[in-house]
Amino acid sequence: MVERESPLGTAYKPGRHGNVADAAGVTLSETRPGSIVEIVAWPGTEKAALAAIKSVTGLALPDKPRAGVVKSGKAGLGFAPRRWLVIDDKEGLAAELKSAIGIETGAVNDLSHGRTVIRVAGPRAEWVLSKLFAVDFSVDAFPVSNGCSTSHHEIFAQIQRTGRNQFDVIVFRSFARAFFTTLCHAAEETGYDVA
Amino acid sequence: MSGRRIADRGRIDRNRTISFSFDGKRYSGHPGDTLASALLAQGVTLFGRSFKYHRPRGVLTAGIDEPNALVTVLRGKKRDANIPATQLEIYDGLVAESQNRFPSLAFDVGAANQPAGKVFSAGFYYKTFMGPVVGPLRGTRFWMFCEWFIRRAAGLGRADHEPETARYQRMNAYCDMLVVGSGPAGLAAARAAAEQGKRVIVTELDPVAGGSAKWSGETIAGKPAAEWAAGEAEALADMDNVRLLTRTHVWGYYDGNTLAALERVGDHQPVATPGAPHQRHWVIRADTVVLATGAFERPIVFPGNDRPGVMLAGAAQRYAAEFGVLPGKRIAIFTNNDTAYAAAAELASAGATIAAIVDTRQVISAGARELAERAGGELLLGQAVSATSGGKELSGITVQQLDPVTGSASGAKRSISVDCLAMSGGWSPAIHLASQAGAAPKWNDDLQAFLPPDPAQPWLGAGAFSGDTNTADALRNGRNAGLKAAGGRASRAQVAKVEAPTLDPFPAPVFEIRTADGKGKALVDHQLDVTAEDVRLAHREGFLSVEHLKRYTTLGMATDQGKTSNVPGLAIMAEARGISIPETGTTRFRPPFAPVALGALAAERTGDVSPDRLTPMHDWHIERGAEMMPAGLWHRPRIYALPGETLEQAYVREAKTVRAGVGMVDVSTLGKIAVQGPDAAEFLDRVYTNKFSTLPVGKARYGLMLREDGLVLDDGTTWRLGETDFLMTTTTAAAGKVMQHLECLLDVHWPGLKVALTSVSDQWAGAAISGPDSRRVLERVVKGTKVDNETLPFMGIVYGEFDGAPVMICRLSFSGELAYEVYCGAGHGTHVWEALMAAGEPFGILPYGMEALGTLRIEKGHVTGAEIDGRVTARDLYLDWMLSKKKPFVGSAMMDREGLADEERIRLVGLIALDGQPLGGGAHIVEDNSRAEPNESIGHVTAFCYSPVLAKYIALALVRGGKARHGQRAFVADPLRNRYGPVEIVSHHFFDPEGSRMHG
Repeated sequence: MVERESPLGTAYKPGRHGNVADAAGVTLSETRPGSIVEIVAWPGTEKAALAAIKSVTGLALPDKPRAGVVKSGKAGLGFAPRRWLVIDDKEGLAAELKSAIGIETGAVNDLSHGRTVIRVAGPRAEWVLSKLFAVDFSVDAFPVSNGCSTSHHEIFAQIQRTGRNQFDVIVFRSFARAFFTTLCHAAEETGYDVA
Repeated sequence: MSGRRIADRGRIDRNRTISFSFDGKRYSGHPGDTLASALLAQGVTLFGRSFKYHRPRGVLTAGIDEPNALVTVLRGKKRDANIPATQLEIYDGLVAESQNRFPSLAFDVGAANQPAGKVFSAGFYYKTFMGPVVGPLRGTRFWMFCEWFIRRAAGLGRADHEPETARYQRMNAYCDMLVVGSGPAGLAAARAAAEQGKRVIVTELDPVAGGSAKWSGETIAGKPAAEWAAGEAEALADMDNVRLLTRTHVWGYYDGNTLAALERVGDHQPVATPGAPHQRHWVIRADTVVLATGAFERPIVFPGNDRPGVMLAGAAQRYAAEFGVLPGKRIAIFTNNDTAYAAAAELASAGATIAAIVDTRQVISAGARELAERAGGELLLGQAVSATSGGKELSGITVQQLDPVTGSASGAKRSISVDCLAMSGGWSPAIHLASQAGAAPKWNDDLQAFLPPDPAQPWLGAGAFSGDTNTADALRNGRNAGLKAAGGRASRAQVAKVEAPTLDPFPAPVFEIRTADGKGKALVDHQLDVTAEDVRLAHREGFLSVEHLKRYTTLGMATDQGKTSNVPGLAIMAEARGISIPETGTTRFRPPFAPVALGALAAERTGDVSPDRLTPMHDWHIERGAEMMPAGLWHRPRIYALPGETLEQAYVREAKTVRAGVGMVDVSTLGKIAVQGPDAAEFLDRVYTNKFSTLPVGKARYGLMLREDGLVLDDGTTWRLGETDFLMTTTTAAAGKVMQHLECLLDVHWPGLKVALTSVSDQWAGAAISGPDSRRVLERVVKGTKVDNETLPFMGIVYGEFDGAPVMICRLSFSGELAYEVYCGAGHGTHVWEALMAAGEPFGILPYGMEALGTLRIEKGHVTGAEIDGRVTARDLYLDWMLSKKKPFVGSAMMDREGLADEERIRLVGLIALDGQPLGGGAHIVEDNSRAEPNESIGHVTAFCYSPVLAKYIALALVRGGKARHGQRAFVADPLRNRYGPVEIVSHHFFDPEGSRMHG
């Protein structure tokens, strides 16, 4: 298999940036999972789709808006009615899900190349993301494993809280470099590491 | 330390000195000082010149309501104008200058306007900028010539023309409760809600929380009020669920309890913190808001009330108590209420001599009398200040008896020598935000003030904002507002004990002092130089409504939005009309509460208006020297020019390479939508004009979509990857529009269809390889499939591999040549692209850009967004063969309307320039060659190029009658670019109309 090229290109500059007065407020990275798969159920087949996702990935996704599951090396998120995103370090998940779900239950789309996952981690993650999105990132309103669909101007984004101070922002690949650049700019105030 | 600096009070840090300059002169102050307090401490009284008359002006207030002392702050070449000196914190190296004066503040030639006051009265512009209607200059633009001078003479600060260098940022915040204002009421509200575990944001305009507690001199909970407030603020700041934002003013109250605030993050810093913004625009969404914004003191309108040295009593008190500065050494008080007595006592105890207390009332409260005794000085009841004297600073006042019936001063004049007059005309609650979020304010006769309207959104009020007249009430109502906002009930428990003088809370209804001789300007709106006489002039000229009054006189229209002038102005109009103030009415407040820099609203979008959308091969194109061009948000290669080549030379070379050998273009930007589900084929039959349910798996078909009104929406090929699995492609520009259209159909019109749509535009990188050698190139590199005509016929799809990268190849052609689109995972895009380039090397493969792509498609007569402009039908484009008669589809019901079926509509044709000159997009087509007066347009050019195949300049055009004109001569008329010339109208299929090349 050929290695997948990162879309960040010249915008990816590892190291410490921005304000260096204190410890870095956030660490920015691209998680580069093996698989990003979107599952769409038909009205009435939601439970069957979720059961199939669980049987393939072990992720027990609740059938609730914005709810998700985060496990080591994988995560799932309900980002719209009857729609879920499953992200896994393992490659080739789309084919497995496709055969488990079947067209009578729903549609499965491999987006492993089409989406880029940017991780924002650190004590100032909420602060930095709040500059870009009109979303309440406080842990009470946005608990760990939950997510949302939103946008930063023209850039559609799905955001999942994958830790107390950690968010994964999933953007279209073609916008990844622009978004990462904007994110770096927003993080200059708190200082940031690119890992 | 100058004589004006008090040794022991205020929140300034006397151990440190700050050096700054004002109008080029160096001064010093201390941390905690504003520019106003620091300059007052140095004995400076002259801060600026007024708008119209260039009258000398000092400071009137100590806060954001300041109309006079407006300055410009210079940072390098940047000029930040109209900053109230009363709000500007000094920092080392601050450079500020005064405004609206020439050549200097002390000697200003514009002051010659003063005697001409009658000329510049209300309605000046309306009356003046319309002539001359008589005389030799009648009918000329003479006044426009004069306007330049008049506008230059009138005005405020000057902006710079430099690009903005400071950073601004936006911040989104959410909370259970937003408390606006951190005076005693706001602090109590915040504390009460925070203790209930609510998420609270508290905003404070000033650098330090506390509001009136910072200067009231009262005692709260056994401590000096300022100390109590500092302790409360510290306790709040320590709580995890509270965010205290100082130097922040909430300026807009919008629907859904969304409020806008401006935080001045770096305005007070000599050097910006790296990465931190200069100012931060907060958008706060709050479940509940507690408005505790306090009240603004009102001036009294009397002749000479704008002379430097005349200021509000509360401001004088504040300079002494909060900043440790005496605004004068010998001070008189002029008031219609008790609050000024507290100011007198404070000023006296700080070391000033109180020369007199002039009160319009005959009788005052015991509390006020006691304070007057403490302050010393004469107590002159039932009297009024009727004039001031002095030049650029106050030297004395004239006091006369006040007739309580007529409200005018008369009788013996008494002069009192003072260098400061502290006046109070009562207090106006700062109801701006409530007015923005509510209905009309309510007049209160006792307070002689407008109180907040009933809330139209979830907010509560407390403190002076809602008419509380003492600190104990403010604390109680603040606490209760906090409890209620937290979902609880008001409490009867005691609040912290307040020790303060007992005063009469209600002012006398005195707004203006008129004199028998009517001499001297009595200013209402200090910032725009609107006098009491201007208000009466507006009345005489019929501008009676408050809205007309405001526009005719400009009352309240300055940067301070009439914080000190609105109510006195209304009172004067009410008196002129012989009706009450509430009958006169008041204007509604609009955002912003105080000026906001446009940069703050733009935030980080300055110079970065839209994100760059890049294809997977973007860096390759750049490295190859591609000149990029925007296509929506996408960046696409335009040409890959060789050194010295023109645009035309480059695209002609690229297009020729494709026709003769092989070329490749990045088509990753095409919109790609996965259409999946048991009903996917049925869905496509409904949305496309032609059938897709009959399309075999492994084949693609060109499809056309109409809008509901029968006009063309978009075109593209859709590939059947499986029985229930289609890949739809759209034009680059229309991808979002088509997705919306399809989602709307599924969600609203056909929710019963089991179809899922997912944007996979970014999943796939696409390379279109075209030209007679394209198959041979593919054969060299693809593994796992053949690509011969039998395995991969026209519109066929095969799957293979390029050095380990899976690819999907569809044989379709936009250029008219034998061509293939090779799709692979976007992350493999560069890998596959480079593999194709390497395989094509023996054939002389070249990458080509948008210009060559356009040239090839124009030669072939293919349409794109340039033709599908939202106004054309399928018939206009001669695509009626695609309109299925066997099934209905979106648009089929409307497409046969008479107007859409008319043969005389503008329809697709080709054009050949007969004069060998380029044609221009958008140029009109006319029937005769009258350049001076071209006759009626019969159509327009949609796309043009130099055709290497025909060796001519050609174009596609939409021309009336279309095909019927083939072979006719017409003319291109392009007056904008001065291009006229003869053209021949021909078929839009310039090249290989049979399609033998792409099918070969």
